[in-house]
Amino acid sequence: MAGRRVLITGISTPLGTQLARRLEADPQVDYLAGVDTTPPRATLARTEFIEADIREPSQIGVIPRTRVDTVVHNNILRRPRQGMSPQTAHDINVIGTLQLLAACERADTIRAIVVRGSAGIYGSEPAAPQFFTEEMSRLYPLRTRFQRDVSEIENYFAGYARRRPGVTCTMLRYQPAIGSSLDTQVTRYLAQPVVPTYLGFDPRLQFVHEEDGLGALVAAIKQPVRGAVNVASRGTIGLTRMVRMSGKPSLPLPSPLFGAGVATMSRIGTPGLSPDFQRLLRYGRAVDLRRLVEDVGFHPRYTTVQAVEGYLASREDAARALTADHRRPTTATTP
Amino acid sequence: MSDPRDPAGDRRRGASPIGPAIGFLRRLRTGLEAGTEMPVALAGAMAGLPREARTVLGRAAGRLGGDYQEDEWGLDEEFAEAVFPLFEAMYDRWWRVEATGVHHVPAHGRALLVANHAGILPWDATMMSVALMRHHPLPRYPRFLVLNWAFELPYVSVLMRKVGGVPASPYNAQRLLEQDELVAVFPEGVKGAGKDWTERYRLRRFGRGGFIELALRTGAPIVPVAVVGSEEIYPKIGEAKMLARLTGAPYFPLTPTFPLLGPLGAVPLPSRWRIEFCEPIETAQLGAERAGDRRLVLELSESVRDTIQRKLYENLVKRGSAFV
Repeated sequence: MAGRRVLITGISTPLGTQLARRLEADPQVDYLAGVDTTPPRATLARTEFIEADIREPSQIGVIPRTRVDTVVHNNILRRPRQGMSPQTAHDINVIGTLQLLAACERADTIRAIVVRGSAGIYGSEPAAPQFFTEEMSRLYPLRTRFQRDVSEIENYFAGYARRRPGVTCTMLRYQPAIGSSLDTQVTRYLAQPVVPTYLGFDPRLQFVHEEDGLGALVAAIKQPVRGAVNVASRGTIGLTRMVRMSGKPSLPLPSPLFGAGVATMSRIGTPGLSPDFQRLLRYGRAVDLRRLVEDVGFHPRYTTVQAVEGYLASREDAARALTADHRRPTTATTP
Repeated sequence: MSDPRDPAGDRRRGASPIGPAIGFLRRLRTGLEAGTEMPVALAGAMAGLPREARTVLGRAAGRLGGDYQEDEWGLDEEFAEAVFPLFEAMYDRWWRVEATGVHHVPAHGRALLVANHAGILPWDATMMSVALMRHHPLPRYPRFLVLNWAFELPYVSVLMRKVGGVPASPYNAQRLLEQDELVAVFPEGVKGAGKDWTERYRLRRFGRGGFIELALRTGAPIVPVAVVGSEEIYPKIGEAKMLARLTGAPYFPLTPTFPLLGPLGAVPLPSRWRIEFCEPIETAQLGAERAGDRRLVLELSESVRDTIQRKLYENLVKRGSAFV
């Protein structure tokens, strides 16, 4: 496996940058390229930054010239970025993947493609299997725009895998991520002053610790397998328990009023919750990890409870550091 | 401290049983007014209470702070233990349950309990749990498969999963068995739950024998269970199809008390119960590959059904009158 040449899309996302760092330290990786529209915030030692929009065939067409053997597609948005329209997010997700795969078709050096997809494709359903395995992505109708996006991405990808049997295509289905360096729906949800919940519901949730998320991606690059693989930290956590651990007051809303309640809250400044996340808060979701452990050979190091605890502890530390900073000038001004 | 709500003052007055309680509430209020959070305030206010009250409240404060365990299926043993006395009271006083053959349930490893079923609320499953927890030498909580509809309901869904309920799906059952759990299934399904009063204790078709396939695939022994009494607690005399469609329920039962008395109609009648756990049927020696053998699956399914039906009649005779 020595002499790998890897290209990463979405290099400027926290996970993309961390992945590049990890691979830079790996002697088996000869060449690293990173694609994004903005350069990464942290400096990377030996990663070639390619400024390109994956939606533009003229820009992403550089892939064959890099002569990479592995492409890591890490540019699928879980929700529109700040100030981004849902239409743009959809474009980046679906058209971006389509153009990326089209560019990969013209590169005959490629041996593996790893996509950081989403477990959102399974949806959140009241009486669903309590641990979705990889074959269960078609059990329920696709209910949200993001789910339809993910499904389209998976279909394009499966089509590519059929046409190019020589390329190992791995679709990683990530549960929502949590971690102190990340800004995800979960961390935003827990950062609100009051946390809205569904009255009378306490779903089982499952997240992926940022380190497990990174570790799984590295493992899949080292040992690409064909088809879909679920990625999450072990076990589950009840929503009520998580909210109580965070120490935030919860605001239980009856389900018919939940959407309106969240919309009102977002108008007064809290970040809104995507339709997918709202369904998650009602019915929850957990996935089976046997394929990740047995085929990819990656053992998640954290449980979901530990991931939440770790995140809450780091947030408390940050808050303490912040209040300490505030206190210093006041003590200085008092004589 | 010039505060009139001085905690020390309360402790001096704590001779009568009401004293500590009042002191506790005062200290709790002081704590909350001082801006501490609920769990911390509870813990602080507990000093000066008798030790037993202190442990109970300590646990309550811990739970409010998110300090409790749930397994990956959402079973909350502490919660289950807390509601257990209620179920025990139903077991002893309300239904006067008599359980036999509890020793037939394997003490460890995977096993599939197969029982008859009536009514939407899984009282039969909870009474089976009580029988096992009470009389089995090595008790453990069985997991039971619950009608999917219950998991769409607020509160009910949470209660079910906290005491060991899991949505009825072969995927869930198989995973539980692979984890060497004790799993209770009711193969009559919705058809059993919606039985008329006149049809009670006449077993319906056991689906397509899916539970046998499961047992074969996982090599789990099958323990047939006959529950007598559960089919008289909600005597269904009719059905409201329109209401069922409106609420999304599989059916909407009409009983002499429901919906006439509103929520009171959900109170089950105090019939006399008998639960018999029958001799286990081993499946491991048949091999997992036989799970695809339709003939074997249907034969086994039929024989389990016959066993339960026979035991139901036996126990009905042994029980005698249904209510007194």
